[in-house]
Amino acid sequence: MTKELVSNWFSKLPENEKDLPLLLSDGLAYTPRTAYNEVMRGSPVGDKLQALIETGRFGTTTEDEQAIAKTRLEQWLKQQPDKPLFATLSNKTFTPSQLLQEIQQETPIGIQWRNNEISHMKNIVRLR
Amino acid sequence: MPALDNTFLFVEPMQHYLNYGSTILHQIVGANKNPSQTIVELIGSDATPEKALEQLTSLQPIVFSLTGHGSETTTSLECTAKLVNTESPELELFKDKVISLVSCLTAQQLGPAIVDAGAVAYIGYKEEFWFFIGDEAGTTRAVQSPFLAAYQFEASLLHGKSTSGARTDQLAKYDEEIAYWITGDGKNDPYGMELARILEMNKTNSVFLGEGYVTPSPSPTVMVAGASSIPFALATIILGVLIYRELKQ
Repeated sequence: MTKELVSNWFSKLPENEKDLPLLLSDGLAYTPRTAYNEVMRGSPVGDKLQALIETGRFGTTTEDEQAIAKTRLEQWLKQQPDKPLFATLSNKTFTPSQLLQEIQQETPIGIQWRNNEISHMKNIVRLR
Repeated sequence: MPALDNTFLFVEPMQHYLNYGSTILHQIVGANKNPSQTIVELIGSDATPEKALEQLTSLQPIVFSLTGHGSETTTSLECTAKLVNTESPELELFKDKVISLVSCLTAQQLGPAIVDAGAVAYIGYKEEFWFFIGDEAGTTRAVQSPFLAAYQFEASLLHGKSTSGARTDQLAKYDEEIAYWITGDGKNDPYGMELARILEMNKTNSVFLGEGYVTPSPSPTVMVAGASSIPFALATIILGVLIYRELKQ
């Protein structure tokens, strides 16, 4: 196991991804930044988080994945300017807050975003 | 009448945010076409169902491509006027053709109906197709990116690729655009998070049905053969001049 892998992984991430919850250990969610700090400190939880990063997993059940995905989307969309940013080729437009409503109400559009966020999390944790 | 090789029909409506896609399609056609191809673009107010169906009948293009709002059973053109649905007798006009619908949801029912009606290939989306409207149409990489990936299929067909080759190129372009927003120059763009997710969803939801061996624009082979004979012709002329000079002395 090497801290260098975690360090390289962390430095490759977009800045905005670094503070979104991603990894779960012992029932607690960690962002890439908090995970990186724990790994660099060499704490016991840091060892567990390092193992997750090295194996490209985020240590969650399906229910946990969905909950973390929703939290990530909420945290991100609340930070965005509230003007129409998103459109579809079924003639719909959305501001971030309107999209957030779809996600919270678990409409088909909200589920599409939530499920994609889980795939996105996998891409992020496996980034090399 | 069979569909004609090297003949393309592109339909590019502009209203209801469709200019975000049609502008890119128009640029891609301009950048990738060659003189051996017959290309018709129906743009803006010309992008009506009536004109599209008329051109499908008279032109018999091997490739028909559009940007339009769609549903599971329908796709539409300018002012959201319906072009066809799963029950339309006009589906027969898609026989022997490659059909590209950059529309939402059509891969669920309309796409299979198009293939059942005899189209050789269909490409479209089974869920919502997302794009970014935070900037004016065509002005930034953020608004272009989803359509650059989607229309790589058309770009590759215009370049002489087969339907399967164009599909492979399109998926590779999706990966390239996603990488741009996650690890490339766009990773810390204020809207990088939006674009990464939009492209991931569109790639996951894109669907190709039908045959992969069809090459709508096979002419580049002929052009390459023609181009390769030019050095030989030049060498022959130069040699002729040298022999003439030698003989003259």
